[in-house]
Amino acid sequence: MNLKIWHKMIIGISIPALITLIGGFFTYAYINDVKLRHGFVEIADDLRERVLEVRRNEKNFLLHKTDEYYRYSKDATDTLNKSLNNISPEIVAQAGNDEFLLLRDSLRTYSDLIHALLKNYRQEDLSVEKVREEGRKLEAFVKAENHDRELSPNFVLDLRRLEKNYMLFRDKTSFDRLNDALAGFNNLAPFCLYCVQYTTAINNLISVYNKITGMENDLQGIGNTLEETTDRIARSERQKVNAFFSSTQRLLLIALILLCTFGPLLVYQTASYIVTPIKRLADITRKISQGDMTLRAPIKEHDETYTLAVSFNRMLDHLQLTRSSLEKSLELLHEKHVEVEKRASLGFLVSGVAHELNNPLNNISLTAETMKEDLNELSAEELKEHIQDIISQSERAKHIIEDLLDFAGARKSTAMEKTDIINVLAESINLVANQLKVSHIHLKKDIHKTPVFIRGNQSKLEEIFVNIMVNAIHAMKGSGDLSICAGPDGQGKFITVEISDTGCGIPGKDLKNIFEPFYTTKQSGGGTGLGLAVTHSLVEKHSGDINVRSKVGEGTTFTVRFPLYEETD
Amino acid sequence: MSDKPRLMIVDDEPIVGKRLKRLFEKEGFAVETFTRGSAAIDELKKKHFDIVITDLMMGVVDGMKVLEFAKANCPDIRVIIITGFGKKETAAEACHKGAFAFIIKPFKIDELREIVRRACSALRKPPTG
Repeated sequence: MNLKIWHKMIIGISIPALITLIGGFFTYAYINDVKLRHGFVEIADDLRERVLEVRRNEKNFLLHKTDEYYRYSKDATDTLNKSLNNISPEIVAQAGNDEFLLLRDSLRTYSDLIHALLKNYRQEDLSVEKVREEGRKLEAFVKAENHDRELSPNFVLDLRRLEKNYMLFRDKTSFDRLNDALAGFNNLAPFCLYCVQYTTAINNLISVYNKITGMENDLQGIGNTLEETTDRIARSERQKVNAFFSSTQRLLLIALILLCTFGPLLVYQTASYIVTPIKRLADITRKISQGDMTLRAPIKEHDETYTLAVSFNRMLDHLQLTRSSLEKSLELLHEKHVEVEKRASLGFLVSGVAHELNNPLNNISLTAETMKEDLNELSAEELKEHIQDIISQSERAKHIIEDLLDFAGARKSTAMEKTDIINVLAESINLVANQLKVSHIHLKKDIHKTPVFIRGNQSKLEEIFVNIMVNAIHAMKGSGDLSICAGPDGQGKFITVEISDTGCGIPGKDLKNIFEPFYTTKQSGGGTGLGLAVTHSLVEKHSGDINVRSKVGEGTTFTVRFPLYEETD
Repeated sequence: MSDKPRLMIVDDEPIVGKRLKRLFEKEGFAVETFTRGSAAIDELKKKHFDIVITDLMMGVVDGMKVLEFAKANCPDIRVIIITGFGKKETAAEACHKGAFAFIIKPFKIDELREIVRRACSALRKPPTG
């Protein structure tokens, strides 16, 4: 994704904020829901309480059977009905429509039943009064003895006792006894009017009692239904709330775990997403600063680092271009330095060699003139000797010139090859031999006798030694000793060449600058100041090292060390 | 001892010695050649020479030392310097030290012969030959 850093930052901050917001919203919704559920539970509890109140009044009413208790009971059912009607349809829908429908229907029936029961109670009162009245009439009739013989006053009294018991207990035993007694009574006096009226009154009472008992049972059954329904509603609401709480708890736990697990991961991801390109850029700049100019900043994201990376790379391109052109110039300059120095050395050598050349020339001309003059006098043997001298002196002159040309660079090879350094040293000494002679310098040699090979370039190595020796000759100003020692070290790893003069020496302050370009202690015109700098770089090209030690007034010693040639080179 | 004028030739180039010895023996000189300055000086200590022809550049004991010694040993001696290094300063120094002539290599035989003749006549002792 090609996002800018500030976009990434906004995203990085927005995502956690959004998550928190969503979490907050859900929590808010949950709390609202919890409140609503809690309301349901309260309503259910309230309904249950009302129902219990209704039942309590129902018991009282059934016990006392008075108008007063009927009113209490009716008030309680009215209150319950009002409470039911006050419950909003949403809550009804939420808690379950069927239950409320059942509740309403039951309450309506219940209300009607109570009312009916009150009427029947009044009917019962009348029936009881009628039974008592007929009983009294029967008693009076039996006492007056205008009855059948079988019907005794004791029998009637017994019947009346059974009647009272039944009215009092209204159970099956008392009913059965009364019923048996009545059956007997009817058998005793089937045509007695008072007897029939009494029996009819009792039967009427029994049927009223039966009806009331049925109604009471119905009322209690409906009351139970009411109680059970409200119980169920309350229980179900409580269960729902509990389930809701546990699911909320689980959800919260999951959310917490997710937040703890992915929160840090998300933060880390966002941070690394922002930081990675910057870090990559920093890494690459560090590597580049350590010298690898070929590296380039990777261009991956199209954010602010993209512009930075592109500019950085462009800058590097420029830098590399400048650097390579500078390096080329430096190389060229260095080559010029070497050339200049070489010419300076060459100039110095030529003056010596030119004079040296006079010797073989002189020998040739002298011999030739002698031959010309004494041609007739010379024996064949002598003539041959003369000619031989001319030939050998010509050879000598040729060699002198060859050496000089070699040194001047006629031999173009710059190849680094297996080179006998002892031979190179001898050739170099040859080149300066004349200058030594002219400058009255005595050469002391202690050079290893057999060839010692190093990996190098003959003409460059010659240049090294000639430069050091020319320097020594200059330092000795007219006379002195030039000592050259050369030989491999004990371990057979290096060859050391030591070139010492007995010249003026170099002061300590100059000694440390001696290998710097253009640094010269010679008076103006005495040297280019490049000799030792060039020598130093040439030695380094041969993987060697060069050191100098000097004492003012006593002389200077240059020590050059090269690693010996190894076949694996 | 012969009455021939005595000529010493000092040059580290043996060919020069050989050729000049033949040349000047023909001219009537008694010639002795040396290739080292020290040997020449030793000989000068032992014998008398009329003319010395010496090279200048010859290692430790060079022509200048031979000249100095010869002139110190025998002021009448005629010393002719021959050199491949024809520097004015050297010529001036040699003349100052009493050199009879200063010849630069390569030279012509006639040129040298002429100078030697002049040196000889200066000795008023012409060579017999």
